[in-house]
Amino acid sequence: MITMSHLIAGGDFDTAGLATRRLKEHLARVGVGAAVMRRAMIASYEAEMNVVIHARTGTLWARLDNGKLDLEVADEGPGIPDVDLALREGWSTASEKAREMGFGAGMGLPNIRRNSDLFDIETRIGRGTRIRSTIMLGEHAESTAAAEWTTLAPETAVQRCRKCLRCIFACPTGALRVHVRGPEVIPALCVGCAACVGECGSRVYGIGGGDAFRAPAPGSVLVLPHGFLSGLPVGGPDRVLTALGSLGFAEVRVLEEWTAAVRAEAHASAAVGSMQLPVITPVCPAVVALVESRFPSLIPNIGPWLSPIEAAGEEFPLRHVYLLAACPSQYAVARGASLTERLAVLSPAGLSSAVLGVLAPPEAGAHRLALRAPRGTPETAPGELRVSGARHVMRVLAAAETGSLPGVSVLDLSLCDQGCSGSPLLTADPYLSAPRELTAGEASDAAAVRRTRPYAQRAGMRLDPDMGTAIRALGRIDALAHTLPGRDCGACGAPSCALFAEDVVTGRAGSSRCPFMEETR
Amino acid sequence: MNLSDLAAKINARLIPPSIEGKTEVKTIHAADTMSSLIANASPDTLLVTSLNNSQLIRVAELMGAPGLCLVGGAQPSPELIARAREAGAAILISPRGLEETRSLLEACLSGASQVRA
Repeated sequence: MITMSHLIAGGDFDTAGLATRRLKEHLARVGVGAAVMRRAMIASYEAEMNVVIHARTGTLWARLDNGKLDLEVADEGPGIPDVDLALREGWSTASEKAREMGFGAGMGLPNIRRNSDLFDIETRIGRGTRIRSTIMLGEHAESTAAAEWTTLAPETAVQRCRKCLRCIFACPTGALRVHVRGPEVIPALCVGCAACVGECGSRVYGIGGGDAFRAPAPGSVLVLPHGFLSGLPVGGPDRVLTALGSLGFAEVRVLEEWTAAVRAEAHASAAVGSMQLPVITPVCPAVVALVESRFPSLIPNIGPWLSPIEAAGEEFPLRHVYLLAACPSQYAVARGASLTERLAVLSPAGLSSAVLGVLAPPEAGAHRLALRAPRGTPETAPGELRVSGARHVMRVLAAAETGSLPGVSVLDLSLCDQGCSGSPLLTADPYLSAPRELTAGEASDAAAVRRTRPYAQRAGMRLDPDMGTAIRALGRIDALAHTLPGRDCGACGAPSCALFAEDVVTGRAGSSRCPFMEETR
Repeated sequence: MNLSDLAAKINARLIPPSIEGKTEVKTIHAADTMSSLIANASPDTLLVTSLNNSQLIRVAELMGAPGLCLVGGAQPSPELIARAREAGAAILISPRGLEETRSLLEACLSGASQVRA
């Protein structure tokens, strides 16, 4: 654990930034990753400059512990009369001097919020302002970001939950519970596959996050799964491509271009024997998260390349790039890769609304943007096993773990049926949005990108930080599980008796939730 | 592309850092607000700006940016140069305005075979 505090002098532009520089030195010493460092620096510097610009004095506190960085900046300043207004981009009350130095663009608070996993602001007129920002570190960062997207809808929508339990059985990692008060997402277990969103007929699960859609800058590139083009019920990909041109995108590229490039690299590695077989293609970030959390012995089998959406984000360093995330896991990795004004991560709902708003009549004959065809053939290559759908993927990974996949050199897995194009955020039925017309147009030049960060086992949900206590808890879980009926009926709100036993031992549920135990009591 | 090559291609004056730092540039970001500069800075990004004050160096230092490009022939103060040296950041001084400098740098980085500076 590290803690630090630093006094900030209001109005002193010479020493401004020193608190953040000190924080950087602390974080560098404990070896936080580049993405976390970047977010911490932006959030801390913007908060520090708020004090320098607006307040008499202030203090920055930082605490690094339990996989997260907590920043708190409190000032003795005038306070903020309207916080909602202050959080809007472009609104500022900075002095003329600050503006001349390039501050006061009204992006400070939005920048802090954008780079925080948790953000909070308290203000009192005439007394001061306190900003809190939490940034999740390393292994926690992506699962938190994925869970952030797989949110529960507002309380009114949660009340729609019919307790049908379909979501808890659809979740491949047991990350959901249905309580009397409504469902719960357990962030440490969520891999961001959106299976719950697809399964819930009551639309209880909402999708948060994603950058708001705005008119793209000139020359912008949009990268999306082809399923977005074919899944929108508006008359086919041509009309969607025409509408995207009308919205101002200069070019549309399909994610499948980078998927094909990653597959080709996996086959090459398998052929030369440079990796443990079967090579698992990292085309689906949710599968990677699943392997890291549930099948850690297969981590050496995951190909060392960025996922297609991350690689697409790296492809155009000089252009504005919009990535359409088909699921929370894609959102999480794309967001972790880069947070710049040149790169925005869009949600399917936001882009769908924009497209529907500019849809021209079919007979209008407006200009249609061209697509590029992914390299290679869509069919599977010899030695490749391509599997989609959570249930099948779980079985195949279990088989791979026990070495029961003879003759398979490349495993290409997607948690969504039919791959990204079958994401429940894009379509009601994965087969309706299966990619079409992918062979049209110029051949793609998309390339796989080697990743620098190694894969690592995810902690999941720790029973206890102390190993001895955790082992004792495990014993109690086993003992309790043996007294349960093993029906895995879900009536307790957990997807299996084993997970219910864990919930009881860890205090997340009371044993009275099991109707069988109540009957036999 | 190396910072010295980039400076030569756009006819910019280069004030190198005293310590040999990372001088490879993959992308640029041009802006005249601090928030935009810090939000888009990275260890591969040359920051191009019409601003001219010592907080620019603080931003480059915090984000690990290899350097700054001042535009319009702006002369950095001795304090700015000293801070840049201390932070290991280079300073380029372009005789052209922000937009023109940005276009030239982007052309260089996108691999245009002929860049007219």
